[in-house]
Amino acid sequence: MGMALVDRYLNAVKFWLPRDQKNDIIAELAEDLRAQIEEKESELGHQLSDAEIEPILKKCGSPMLVAERYLPQRALIGPVLFPIYRVVIRSLILYFLLPWFLIWLGTTIFSPDFRIDHPGVALLVSLEPWWLACIHSLFFCTLAFALLDRSQARAQIVNGWNPRALPAEHDGNKISRGSTVFELTISIASLVLWFELGAFHRVFHLLGMTVTLSAAWPYYFWALMVLSIAIMGVACLNLTIPRWTRLSASLRLGLDCYLWVLAYWLCRNWPVQSLTGADLSPAVAAGKIAAINQILSSWAIWVALIGAIVLAFDVRRILRVEREASAPLSGSARHVTSANGIL
Amino acid sequence: MSQGNGADERFENLRQELRRGSLPLAVLAALRTEHYGYTLRKTLADRGMAIDEGTLYPLLRRLEAQGLLVSEWREEDKRNKRFYSLSPDGKSILKQLSVEWKSIHASLEEIF
Repeated sequence: MGMALVDRYLNAVKFWLPRDQKNDIIAELAEDLRAQIEEKESELGHQLSDAEIEPILKKCGSPMLVAERYLPQRALIGPVLFPIYRVVIRSLILYFLLPWFLIWLGTTIFSPDFRIDHPGVALLVSLEPWWLACIHSLFFCTLAFALLDRSQARAQIVNGWNPRALPAEHDGNKISRGSTVFELTISIASLVLWFELGAFHRVFHLLGMTVTLSAAWPYYFWALMVLSIAIMGVACLNLTIPRWTRLSASLRLGLDCYLWVLAYWLCRNWPVQSLTGADLSPAVAAGKIAAINQILSSWAIWVALIGAIVLAFDVRRILRVEREASAPLSGSARHVTSANGIL
Repeated sequence: MSQGNGADERFENLRQELRRGSLPLAVLAALRTEHYGYTLRKTLADRGMAIDEGTLYPLLRRLEAQGLLVSEWREEDKRNKRFYSLSPDGKSILKQLSVEWKSIHASLEEIF
């Protein structure tokens, strides 16, 4: 009775073993288990029951685990390429699949037209290309890395590296002077252009038509002026201290918040009030106004989405600055120490 | 309490890692005398190097595949058993590993 339990155990182990070694391994394992059982039987003075054999088998380990120890160490993607694979998969999710899903979600929530076009289950069906993209991209990426792991490329990565070819340390809190100067130039140019165009007027002439903007336009114009001046102020601060600090990162978050709320507000508030022209009938003008405002209104969701992404990056920057400030050896100090040859 | 358990677990992991590294040397040394699996396990356990069957048999196969051990199936007490012993290569490697082991031991003694 007891040996039947051992046979069942050995059979389960045998299932997972490589074909050419099955019998040999099982014969040896069976002999060991028999010897253990015999020793226990002579100690207790009776034949072991199933209940007494069970702990012996349990101690030996689960059949799959026992068999696994006889198998060669195998991995679809080995430890050399796995970190690269992880970075690629993370980037794929973060910069391709997640934004796609968020765009679908945003469109579903904020666009009534989309919901009307895709009623009920059709709404989920509209997500099918995304599912397919998920499966295909993850499958082909995994397959590519598995093949790479079995090719010469792996050996090149392991053996063909050069310390001089390694990327320089990335300092996420450093602000490049080039980008600050670019930002400053754009702000000044848009400010000048804005005044040059006389954008503070509600009424202007375009292509033989007179366009009248909504009564809220002057407020929008001056709000944009304040924003441009503030951006120039922060750019000057960044030129003086070319590192993100708590102050500059918080100011950037505040300004971006202000900018995207302003843009969203403009899109949602039907900025074109009237359109008149010699060859324009009131009905056609009304149609054009509605079309322009409708287009701007439909952009609101994208403005909100892009704004949310920008703000998320701004928050991340603040957290990074906080981390650096609370680290025992701050970033700038680390650079100084490194330059002194201590690190 | 949980910190104590964590420390125990860490110690146990490191202890096992340390012993695992020494197992091939212990097995090679014990196989200067011919043994079959079960008696080899008993011999090692009696000398304080307990090793479960799930670890020993795959290790014996690896050492044999590397040409350090030779084995043969033979009948003893009316039962077929696989007997292992050191190959000439195994004897030579054992000598080198013993020297290395003594050197590591001496270095650690020095460090302690």
